Amino acid sequence: MQHTDNTPHSFKDEVMAEPGGELLQRCYSCGTCVSMCLVNQTCPDYNPRRTMRMVMLDMREETFRNPTIWHCSACDLCHPHCPQGIHISDLMRAIKNVALRAGYESPLPSAKVDEHKCSGCDICEKACPYGALSLAAKTIDGKERKISQVDRSLCMACGICAAACPLSAITVEDYSNEKVAAQIQAGHWLKKAKSGDPKVLVFNCSWNLRAEADRDAMSELPANVRVVNVPCSGRIDPTFVLTALQAGVARVLVAGCQPGECHYKQGTRIAQGRMHTLNHMFEQMGMDAQRVQFVQIGTEDRGRLPATILDLVAELKSSTVAVA
Amino acid sequence: MVDAARHPNITVKSYTEVKRVEGFIGNFKVLVEEKPRYVNMDRCNGCGACSPVCPIEIPNEFEEGIAPRKAIYIPHAQAVPLRYVIDEEACIHCYKCVDACGKLDAIDFSQQPRQEWLDVGSILVATGFDNFDPSVIKEYGFGRYANVITAMELERINNSAGPTAGRIMRPSDSKFPNKISFIQCVGSRDERYNLYCSGFCCMYTIKNAVQWKQTYPDADITIFYMDIRTPSKGYEEFYRRAREMGIRFIQGRPSIITEDPKTGNLFIQAEDVGLGRTIELESEMVILSTAAIPRVDTDAMGSVLNISRSPDGFFMEYHPKLRPVDSPTDGVFLCGAAQSPKDIPASVAQGSAAASRAARILNADEWEIEPIVAMVWEDRCISAQGKKCGICATKCPYGAILVETGKAAMVTAAKCHGCGGCVAECPHNAITQKHFTDAQVISQLHALLRHEPEKKVLAFMCHWCSYGGADNAGTSHFEYPASQRGLRVMCSARMDSDFIFEAFRLGAGVVLVSGCHPQDCHYITGQRVGAERFEKLTKRLVDMGISPQRFRVEWISAAEGAKYAQVIREMDQTLRQIDPQALKEEIERTRPELERRVRRLPEIPDVALALELAKATS
Repeated sequence: MQHTDNTPHSFKDEVMAEPGGELLQRCYSCGTCVSMCLVNQTCPDYNPRRTMRMVMLDMREETFRNPTIWHCSACDLCHPHCPQGIHISDLMRAIKNVALRAGYESPLPSAKVDEHKCSGCDICEKACPYGALSLAAKTIDGKERKISQVDRSLCMACGICAAACPLSAITVEDYSNEKVAAQIQAGHWLKKAKSGDPKVLVFNCSWNLRAEADRDAMSELPANVRVVNVPCSGRIDPTFVLTALQAGVARVLVAGCQPGECHYKQGTRIAQGRMHTLNHMFEQMGMDAQRVQFVQIGTEDRGRLPATILDLVAELKSSTVAVA
Repeated sequence: MVDAARHPNITVKSYTEVKRVEGFIGNFKVLVEEKPRYVNMDRCNGCGACSPVCPIEIPNEFEEGIAPRKAIYIPHAQAVPLRYVIDEEACIHCYKCVDACGKLDAIDFSQQPRQEWLDVGSILVATGFDNFDPSVIKEYGFGRYANVITAMELERINNSAGPTAGRIMRPSDSKFPNKISFIQCVGSRDERYNLYCSGFCCMYTIKNAVQWKQTYPDADITIFYMDIRTPSKGYEEFYRRAREMGIRFIQGRPSIITEDPKTGNLFIQAEDVGLGRTIELESEMVILSTAAIPRVDTDAMGSVLNISRSPDGFFMEYHPKLRPVDSPTDGVFLCGAAQSPKDIPASVAQGSAAASRAARILNADEWEIEPIVAMVWEDRCISAQGKKCGICATKCPYGAILVETGKAAMVTAAKCHGCGGCVAECPHNAITQKHFTDAQVISQLHALLRHEPEKKVLAFMCHWCSYGGADNAGTSHFEYPASQRGLRVMCSARMDSDFIFEAFRLGAGVVLVSGCHPQDCHYITGQRVGAERFEKLTKRLVDMGISPQRFRVEWISAAEGAKYAQVIREMDQTLRQIDPQALKEEIERTRPELERRVRRLPEIPDVALALELAKATS
């Protein structure tokens, strides 16, 4: 007799019964998703193909204990390249959901809301690409207030909310305002800014450099260029830019991903809007609008970002630039 | 090919298109059109004096566009017949070739297309395949990156008679590439393009790599693959030899290629599955092993020859295991990659098989066919009475029925395969199918529903798929309830609406009609004829007051025994859930309308007798 009831029998069945898990068994382990994925640049153990194999082999506990299952940010670079049409991020979501039901939690850092500072304005909820933030009633200092809350299972710690919050009530662990400032200042770079070659500050998203050679080139830039890494260009608070310019930096370059390739879905689009507003503001103030520039680097743009930075440095050298 | 052209019993008609095919097995009439080549075939001796003087140069199709050709040309050096042809679209009529041809006087611009009818006993289709255009796979950059080429282009570059005289060079800077990579399954095994495996790319890639490595032992060669498929004689040994020579095989499908704009070198990103890690490999040239795809004109050719295509787009064989060389139309045979992608040995084998299948027909004075063919009762056909109808002809997948107003429809028995679609569709019951007459089917119906019909699951099954599925359920011991009563006809196209009305009139509890999946239909489009009818019928039955759950349509293949058993179990369950009293009332309520629907059945020859006998024995 065949099985006739549709209740899940195994871990594999359970994942496949979850929305997004249906196509699991189509995978023939070609590895396209793995090599397309940028997560394994920072987390070499991350391997969606291997995770899918583990599910297919019903390795339930081992799958859940593997911290890498939480890393997929649903950027969907892999999905259009999968020859079997598997929507890998949906599948990873399905695995996460089953893990959550089993009582496991994401070990990744997440955004944190300072309940005393939060005014409940709801801007963060609208900015979050993952729907990880929502307002909830809570008693703070004896008063019932609506404040923002983070769903840890959804948050990918991109920091878009932290940059959006008008009261700086949200922080992302490794990329708090203080830590970003420290990265800029390290070695008293800003103090030296007023002398010597015009300084260029580059805010770079962590996901737009696919080529090893490009990543190497970023660490070999001249001393008057400072590269500050942020998870996403959407983490860049316009205040960062303004502060840097005020401190004597000649140019700020913000580098994000190509639209459609953003690691955090819409971070690059949000950053584009913010930088555009800054350009506009500078223009109205009679400043050089190009003091802040925004570039979007695509996954196929080998060598483009280092070249752009060097071009900018060369351009500054050949012209006299007014420094505020 | 030269031998074939010289054979006394073989006529080669090149540059000729098949326009129409009429007739049937052993007696085909084929209309062919020879296109004007503007060169007199009898006078041209292939000396080649004309080509060098031609001032026109356009991309040479045979050289994959890498080299030019003239407007007066031969397709390639070994062309048979070795006669020049003028490309009318490219020619500027300067007549330099005419001067060069001189006394031979072979060039003739007055030629027109020439049509002729040929008498043919059997037809072999050996139209080959096309190459997949990899530029649609954006991530591999073909067409954008100069040094990404196809395997076919490599064949030309590698050929001593090719455009580079065998000197290997890469397109961007004409330098010799020492570090090259091959990528397999480009457009194959990929649901975005072609789901099937093209079959022979693994072997030709290994061949190219081995050849390269033999000539340049220092070359650094990598082959990216998902699975290496070496299913024929000597293939696996050849694969081992390639590995032993130092050719690097990496299991992993590259996800993206990027180009260094300065050097033109390419960086391939792939997961080395064996290593479980992403690697980035620099290559000076990348060769894509593209899929073999059906020729662009497969559809047009198929409609001329009245043969169909499989879901993959190649021509469909009569039976995938037992008659792999025959097409569904008798007397038409398939060879080589027209039927599915094949390598040379397999193409030769199928070509030889097709030739011998065809020779059987040429050497026979008589040909035996299945006796289940359709037959027209001329006195009942309204076409004979001068009325316009012809429904039967439109439903026939084989073009076996000829309808002329004023004459009764005529079935060409040699073309009929006995699906019975015409029989079921004829609105005047003027056609019958031998061995599956209305009287025979109705007798069976009455016998099956003699006792407690309201407790029965009546299942109409097509011979080739769902009957096979039921059989498979039996041999595999998939249990299903004993309330099932099966009735076999040749095709779902034969399942006449009248049969279903009659079954419900007799009080059948639930009725299943089942047939092949559309792509599996044994009778090309028979399933579609049935499916269209059942779609309308489902609505009509509901309108008549029959509960929708009492009629079900399912497509079950011969391998789906489990599905057959499952469907019957579900239908039995459905029947048990209906309140018996309500069912009885529904049967009584709908009976008058059903009786009205089948009132003309007894007019069909033998049906009255069958009904009488059924009544007498009940």
